[in-house]
Parts: sequence; structure tokens; C-alpha cells
Amino acid sequence: MPETLEIVPSLPIPAHLVGEVQSKLAYVDEIIARGEVASSGDRITLYLHSPLGVKQGELEEKVQRVVLSMVKGAIRPKVQVLEDHLDRPAGGYHADPHEELLRRGELSQETRGVFALGPLLARLITWFEVRFVELADSFGASPYRFPTLIPASYLERVDYFSAFPHSLTFATHLHTDLDVIDGFARGTACNEHGELNAPPDSFAPIRALLSPAVCYHLYFALADRPLPGGQVVATAVGNCFRHEAINLTSLERLWNFTMREVIFVGPKDFVLDHRETARQRMANLFGQIGLAYRVESANDPFFIGEFRKQVAFQSAFQLKYEIRARLPFKDSTLAVGSYNYHQDFFGRRLNISLPDGAPAHTGCVAFGLERMAYAFLAQFGLDPANWPELVRNGY
Amino acid sequence: MSFQSMDLTDRVRDLLAQALQVPSEVVGAELSFGDLPQWDSMGHMEVMVQLEERFGVEISADTIAALTSVEAICAYLKENGHA
Repeated sequence: MPETLEIVPSLPIPAHLVGEVQSKLAYVDEIIARGEVASSGDRITLYLHSPLGVKQGELEEKVQRVVLSMVKGAIRPKVQVLEDHLDRPAGGYHADPHEELLRRGELSQETRGVFALGPLLARLITWFEVRFVELADSFGASPYRFPTLIPASYLERVDYFSAFPHSLTFATHLHTDLDVIDGFARGTACNEHGELNAPPDSFAPIRALLSPAVCYHLYFALADRPLPGGQVVATAVGNCFRHEAINLTSLERLWNFTMREVIFVGPKDFVLDHRETARQRMANLFGQIGLAYRVESANDPFFIGEFRKQVAFQSAFQLKYEIRARLPFKDSTLAVGSYNYHQDFFGRRLNISLPDGAPAHTGCVAFGLERMAYAFLAQFGLDPANWPELVRNGY
Repeated sequence: MSFQSMDLTDRVRDLLAQALQVPSEVVGAELSFGDLPQWDSMGHMEVMVQLEERFGVEISADTIAALTSVEAICAYLKENGHA
């Protein structure tokens, strides 16, 4: 039996924050294998990798810090549902496709949160990719290709480090020093946890990270100059990286995932109108394939320091809506995409100006390709014979 | 002059200056959200926290979206009994 620790939160956790607090328990301490917040919000259970010993007080203090930071003074979000098609029958499939995909060799785990995908998943993702590119084409979007790395200075300039420090992934290389490189070549090995044994001072200072989003690259490409033509629609697909610690369990939550974005930059009405048009066009596609989903207001996974204020702000101004597809096997939903509006945050911060000199507004629609395929398989199963005709024929 | 004896607009300007950590002279009666780099999303939420603490008004998603200028804040406070 794993070691457990029960904690009574210093403030009762309201229902709308139960999932949010639970997801942040993953970052409290490496000794935590899993954390659960009771739906009543009055009990937290931690399942631990090893006995606590003298660390119990320290661990409890950290958990209470998370609770206080996220719950004290929290403002109830304004929930807005733009579409609700959760009751669609979909494919009548009720199993978790993850295990079957592993069994068939369609999925192989390289490390926690990192998976190689086989032909069934690859083809299904391509099918969705083509549809998302068609959406981009319907707006006349210009195609872009962005690097996987993003400079640390870029993320600092848009306050990413204070908002999402918990999920950053850093890129580095060996110091440019013959002795360091020679030493690494001769003596480096991985331990039983897959961790390199090289001394930390072998590595150069961090100047780049693995990119957490696609659209940031476009905003930096447009920075510090007038916006060409006063408005831009662009699209790109890219690898994105968000380390979510022990929450990385299946295709539902990956460390390394792929995101297709359609990005709008221009005046406020231009961005909001295009975001809404994109939602309507996607509703048409999802209707054609019979996907069971809902579009509802949401918030980004801010870390505890800024969580309360940023979430309240996003909610008040309805900046983010998620496409939440039904996962029948667990009677739950999974965010497979989102419709986002950033107001003029990036326009101001990166000095992207409209013809009248005002800062540009930005927004994007983003689709997580692995999650999209996973949710589709959770609803329709792995046998293409049971898939909607539109997908089966184009697959 | 104490905070309570100040004219309502001046009290709101004083609140904004402190919440946004800017000199009070840059907070004019016409100031709106986004006019200063400091009045961004986090700055706005600090303004809301200060409004709650100093004036005892209840902050909700609706008020966060509505109270985006000195003028709107003053009007809201007057409606809620602050002369």
C-alpha cells in the first residue's frame, strides 16, 4: 500500500476550484505520486512514493500555501457555454483507447509524457490537420514555420516566467570547453531513472527553452514595427512543451505535443469577429462527424502566484473558450482546442502597432492534435469501420 | 488631507496610483484600462482588490469587466452609496 497523507485545507475549496487545486498538487513536492481533492473541498489526500518522516510538516505547509494562494479571495468565474453537444451519441465506444493503443503498438511511451505514435494515430491526426488547415485557408491565412526553441528573453518579455513557471522546459548544451566535452564523452551515463549523471556545471547558461506555444513566435516576428497591412491572419503547426509533472499520464496530457494554430492580429473587432467565425466553422465540421463536445469559458493554467487574479480577469472578459470533447469511458471531458483573445496585451508588450498608432489586438484558435485524435478514438473506437463516413473515407 | 475627506474622483485617482504604483499626477480623471502600461490585467486586478478593501464593494466577474475607467469606477461607487 502506498503511503498516504490526509490534509484538511485551511480554507474549504469551492467546487469550481477543486480540479484546479488538484492539478497544482503535482508541483508541491517530488515525493507526491498523486494528489486528490475531495469533491466536497474539505479534504486533500496525498499518495506518496515513500514514507514522509520529518518532512510531514514541511509538506503540509506547502499544500496549505497552494490552497491559500488559489482559494483566498477567489472570485467565482462567469461560466458561459457557447455550444453544448455533449449528448450526441458519437460512436457508442466506452473504453479508454490508451491501453488498446499500447497493446496494438500504435502508441509507445519513450518517457513520462512523451509518446511515439503509430500509423493509425498518425493518419487520424493528419485527417484533422487537413481540416484545420482548411479552416486557416478559409481566412486566407499565411503559412508560417516556427522553431521548436524560443529565446528565454522572449518569454521574459511577455511575463511567461511569472505566469507559468511550473511547466517550463529548458534547453541547454555543454559548455564550449574541451575538458568539459571530453569529460562528458568519456564518463556520462544514465541512472535507473534515465537521468544523466553529468555534473550540472557541465551545461551552459540557459538562453532558450522548448516553446510552450505556437502563436508567440508570430507576435515576436511582428514586434517593434507597424503591422503590415493593418491586419494579419497566419497559421502554423508546431511542437509545444509543457511539463506537467505527475499529471503526465496518457495522451490526455503530454510533455511534448503538437498544436495547430490559426492566429489573428489586428483591430479588436477584426480579431473577435474572426475568432467567432472560426468557432462557427469548426462547429460545422464537428457536427458533420458527430463529435460530442461543449464549448465553454475557461482559463489558462496559471501558477499559484498569479492564478487568482489572472483567472478572474480572463473570466470577466471572456478571453478563453475551450472545446471540451467527451471522454465516455470516464464520464468526463478533455480540452482539445481553444478560442483565445489576448486583448492588446501582446500589441502593447511587443510594440505591434496598427496604422492609427494604437497597439494591435491578438487572438488565436488552437488545436491539440494528439488530444483531438485521442478524444475521437475515445468516442468512436479504434476500428475505422465504426467511424463517421467523412473520417473513414478520408483517412 | 485624509483619504475620507477627499473628493470621490480624487480618492479613486489616489487608489489607482497606489494600486498601479504610479505617480498620482499621471492618473487623470479620463484614465482608462490600458492607457498606462501598469494598468494591464494584473494591474487591473490589483485595482479591484483595493476597491474591495477601501470601499467594501463586492467584486465579481461583471464588475471586473465594467470598472475599466476612473469615470466608471466613480459612477459605480456613487451608485453604491459613496459620495
